[in-house]
Parts: sequence; C-alpha cells; structure tokens
Amino acid sequence: MTTTLERPAPDKQAGGAPMIDRAEGWRRRAPLLPALIFTIIVTQIPFLLTIFYSLQSWNLVRPGSQSFVWFQNYADVFTDSQFRQVALNTVVMTLGSVLIAVALGLVLALLLNRQFFGRGVVRTLLITPFLITPVAAALLWRTVLLDPTLGLVNFVLSPFGASGTEWISEFPLASVMAALVWQWTPFMMLLLLAGLQSQPTDQLEAARVDGANSWSIFRELTLPHLRRFIELGVVLGTIYLVNTFDTVYMMTQGGPGVASANLPFYIYQRAFLGFDIGQSAAMGVVVVILTLIAATFALRLLFRTFSGEEEAA
Amino acid sequence: MAEVVFDQASRIYTPGAKPAVDSLDLTVADGELVVLVGPSGSGKSTALRMLAGLEPIDAGSVRIDGRDVVDVPSKDRDIAMVFQNYALYPSKTVAENMAFPLKMRGMDKEERGRRVRQAAEMLGLTDFLDRKPKAMSGGQRQRVAMGRAIVREPQVFLMDEPLSNLDAKMRVQTRAQIAELQNRLAVSTVYVTHDQVEAMTMGDRVAVLADGKLQQYATPPELYDRPTNAFVAGFIGSPAMNLLDLPRSSTGVTLGGVEVPLPREISDAAGSRDRITVGIRPEDWVLESTDADAGSVIKAVVDVVEELGSESYLYAHLAEDTSTSIVVRGPGRVKVRFGDPIAVRPNPEALHVFDVETGQRLP
Repeated sequence: MTTTLERPAPDKQAGGAPMIDRAEGWRRRAPLLPALIFTIIVTQIPFLLTIFYSLQSWNLVRPGSQSFVWFQNYADVFTDSQFRQVALNTVVMTLGSVLIAVALGLVLALLLNRQFFGRGVVRTLLITPFLITPVAAALLWRTVLLDPTLGLVNFVLSPFGASGTEWISEFPLASVMAALVWQWTPFMMLLLLAGLQSQPTDQLEAARVDGANSWSIFRELTLPHLRRFIELGVVLGTIYLVNTFDTVYMMTQGGPGVASANLPFYIYQRAFLGFDIGQSAAMGVVVVILTLIAATFALRLLFRTFSGEEEAA
Repeated sequence: MAEVVFDQASRIYTPGAKPAVDSLDLTVADGELVVLVGPSGSGKSTALRMLAGLEPIDAGSVRIDGRDVVDVPSKDRDIAMVFQNYALYPSKTVAENMAFPLKMRGMDKEERGRRVRQAAEMLGLTDFLDRKPKAMSGGQRQRVAMGRAIVREPQVFLMDEPLSNLDAKMRVQTRAQIAELQNRLAVSTVYVTHDQVEAMTMGDRVAVLADGKLQQYATPPELYDRPTNAFVAGFIGSPAMNLLDLPRSSTGVTLGGVEVPLPREISDAAGSRDRITVGIRPEDWVLESTDADAGSVIKAVVDVVEELGSESYLYAHLAEDTSTSIVVRGPGRVKVRFGDPIAVRPNPEALHVFDVETGQRLP
C-alpha cells in the first residue's frame, strides 16, 4: 500500500490503460449514447415484443381472440410438418446455392486468371449479374429465361425436344436456386480471383521446376492457398442467402405448396397472409436461435481462418 | 551431373528492344560451380531463368548434357532451383516441402521418406521436419529450400541469389556451406548473385554480365588479375579499382603532375593514343614519406579513413588535381586523419591499362 502511494506511475503502467475517473469516462462515452439507444430501440425492443407475441394465441382475422398460451405456439412449430419441410428447403437452398456458386466461381476465376484477348470485357460481363437488383433478376429469370412458351431456356433446348417444360412449377426449388447461383457466382469469382492473384509467383515457378504439372500445382498449392478465400465466400454467401426473400417472392411465391418456400418467406406468409401473429412470432424466435447457433460456428471458422494461421512463408 | 552450354542464347522481351540477354555463350563443365554476377538489369537472373525454363529462349540454344532444352518444359529438364525468397510451399511441412519434387516424379512414399531424412540430416533440419515454413527463421528456410533441391539429385542446381535475404553473418556461414555441399555432391551449379564477394569466394569460374552481354568468363584470380575491360576491372574488387583517365607523356602517363612510367609492353600496346584509362587497385599504391622528392611521388589529401582492423582504406583527392579521387590501402593502424597530406606512388608492375573509348584492356 505504501509503495502504491509513493510510486503511483509504474503501478498504473502495469495495470494497462491509465485510470480515468467515472465522470470523465461518462463524458467520453456520452456522444456514443444516442447511437446505442437507437440500436436498442430498433433491435431489442422488437425482439422482446416478438418473444411476448410468441407466447400468445393471436390471429388478426379474429379480433378479441388474443390470449396467453405459454409455449403452445412453440409446440405447434415443432409439430408442423410444413415448418420442417421449409427448414429443410432453407438449408438446401442456402448451402446448395452457395456451394454451386463457389464451384462455378472457382472455375471462372481460374479462367480469368490467364492472359487472353478481351479479358477486361469478359470480366466486366461476368460481374454484371451481381450488380442487378435481386427483384429484377428474379423477374428476369421467371419471364425471360424460364417462361414455358416464351422463355429462352426452352427455346435453346427445343432442338433437343425439351420444349414446353414448366420449369418453375415442375422444379420450383431448383429454379430459385438457379437464379441465386446466377447472382452469386460473380461475387465468389471476384473473391477467388483476388485469392489467386495473391499467390506468390515464385511458388508456382518452384513447383514447375520441381516437376509438377498444372493439375498437381492446382491440387497441391493453389487449392490450399485458396482455402481461406473459399471459407470466406461460403460464410458470407450463407449469411446473405439464408435471408433470401425477394427471389422466392418474385419467382414462385414459395409454391407449389411450400415446395420452394424458405423460412423468411414462410414466416412472412404466416404473419401477413395468414395473420397468425403468435405462430409466426414463435417461428421467428426459433429461426433466430437456430441462426445464432449456426452463425457462431461460421464466425468462429472465419476468425480462425483470418488469424493468419496459414500465412505465406 | 552434366555439362550446361549456352550457345548464342538470347532473350528479347519486346521485339526491337535491346535484348535482356544478348547472344550469351557460356559452358559450365560437369560438376563445376559457375557464378553469374553483374549489377541490376545485367541479365544474370534472366539467363538463369532461361536455363530453368521459366523464360523462353528467343534465339540460340541452351543444352543440358548435350540435349537441346529450348522446347523442353521446366519439369522435364532435370534441374533443381533455389529461389531468392525460397518459394517454400506454406501449406506444407518441411518434410512435405522437401518431398514434393520426389512426389511429383512418382517416387514411392518409403523412398521419399528415406531421401528426405538423409537430406535433412545433411542440412541439420532433422528436428524441424514437422514444422511449417512460417515457424522457421530465414536461415532455416534457406536450408529447407536447399534440401528441396538436393533430394532430387538433379543434373544441375540453379541458385538465384539464395543468400540475399540473410543477415551478413548468416550469409558468410551459408556461403561456405553451399560451396562445401556443392563440392561434395559434385553437381554442376549455376549461381546468380549481385555480390562480387560471393562470386569470387564461391565460383570455380565467374561470368561477369552487364547490359545482357557477357563481359568476361574466367576463374576468380584471373578476373582479378587480368580484367578484360574497364567494367570488369571496376566491378570486381572492393573497394573498387581506381580508374583514372590520364594523358600520355613521353615515357608513360601524367598523374597529379607526376610522370608515371609505364612498362614497355603496355606502352607499346597503347600505341599513339593521347589518353588512356589506367587502373590501379587500392593495394597497388605504395605509401611514401610526405617529405619525398616532389617529382617522384603523387601528393594527395585525405578525405575519409576507413579502418577495418587488419587494413585501412584512405579515400583522398589529388593535391594537384582536386577533382580526381583515389582509394589507397594502408596498414591496419594509420596515423593520418581527415585533411592530412599523403604521398603515394603506383606499383608500375600492377597497372591495368584500358582504351578510353572502348574500355578494352590494352596489352
């Protein structure tokens, strides 16, 4: 104690940042408060209200029906076979689209990483799908490409006897995924192209001298080098695509039945078409919890990837 | 084990421009260590990359063991290369790095392991085999790169400034290790460096390049004693040779107002030229007493004294002609300081004389 009084400076150093008294601390933090309060109002209050609604039976079509039912809504959610179907759709749609987009993006990035005439033009053209508003892209796919009589896909396939296929009603989930893959492949391509261009050329030259052919170089060196870029692409793509709403809404309305509905769309349907506030609130809470669990693992992967574990020698 | 021949080999990056390597003729005998040395942009690295198959050969040919390799891809040339930044594979362990060229040649796992362990032992890397390159020091990475080259038992080693990323002490140590290893393995080696000390200490023969052209190809002593032109004379040796552009006099040349007689054969070779370039190495000056007779010694004023312990170098300008600077080697302990006068005399037996215009050696 005596020592502390006699030599205050070194002790402060040892404790890390110099001590600030409470008033000064508040003075420094005060300018951040409005933003914090605003964030709490727009995120946490709706969340708490959602939890509150999820414990009630409340359908807007029947006024006065509002009553407290505890966890009945949650029990209904887990016994709802449609909800399970939609949850599965969401997983297939999100992961399927992301993985296909990464695979296609990798192929395109490898092609773009070579020198050829008109590379700049080709690159720009390949990026354009990413620049289109998702609603417009979905509309484009529904009408211009997949329309059974006027669509380009059937026109191109007509010599092979595939004319008249009702793509959207026969393969609703695949159609939505096709549009999503089309929009997200350019993003993956750009990410992986950046990865490819950050690979040191002397390593590739060393591999050539060491007797590796193109395939061995790709498998032994390029793919390990791209690993963290692929992981980043998968995590970012998943975060975006798990929330897909506009594409589903524009192309299939989740139908036929719930064949192409994902969770955001299904909850929207139950809340704003079925007016079942209690039920949809409970679904929302369940989805948030599941997403939190998945996101925790995904983000942990992301941080591990960029902690520089595999940094170049 | 093979002989390497550059036969009028050229590399032209842009048609019409000056070639990066211009009609290079060079023969590396079996088991020899040849150093390519030159300043930046001299084409030494390009020449090595042509041999490695990383740059095309635009004219002439390159032969390894009698086989023309102009159209042979790198992987089929049976060479191993050590890169300046080592170019280790970051996702692989040391053992995997060293085994990579063997794996690419389809060698079975057992034999790979045996060879890697053998090379690791030779290079003192046995304890690091499971590490990733990131977890190693520069010197260790350099040895891994060497190991990756030697496990292959290739016909030719190519080394592109393999020591330039090491600190000075490590560099001297590794320099000796590489020379010793090369002697033991007796594999023909082409070694590129910009450091003339490395070239002189390691090379069986040294090729000096400038502007894409071979200037001289000789053993280190010959390069030092009989540089073929003024460029080589100035490039080899540290501190550099004093190259002085001097007017002729009846018996020799005039330096700092003093007649310096030239030996008969040099004088004859110089013919009727008015001026010649005279090269005097720092150690070929004789320090005289400052009281000596004015007609026989050259007076100079000291600008800088570099004391290295075993010797010292005096940087001085001539008293008569202050625009001419010279470097003189002196004994380890010299009394002179900045501004002191000194008197020197060149050793007439050790003069090098070059044409002023072409820079070619005269006798």
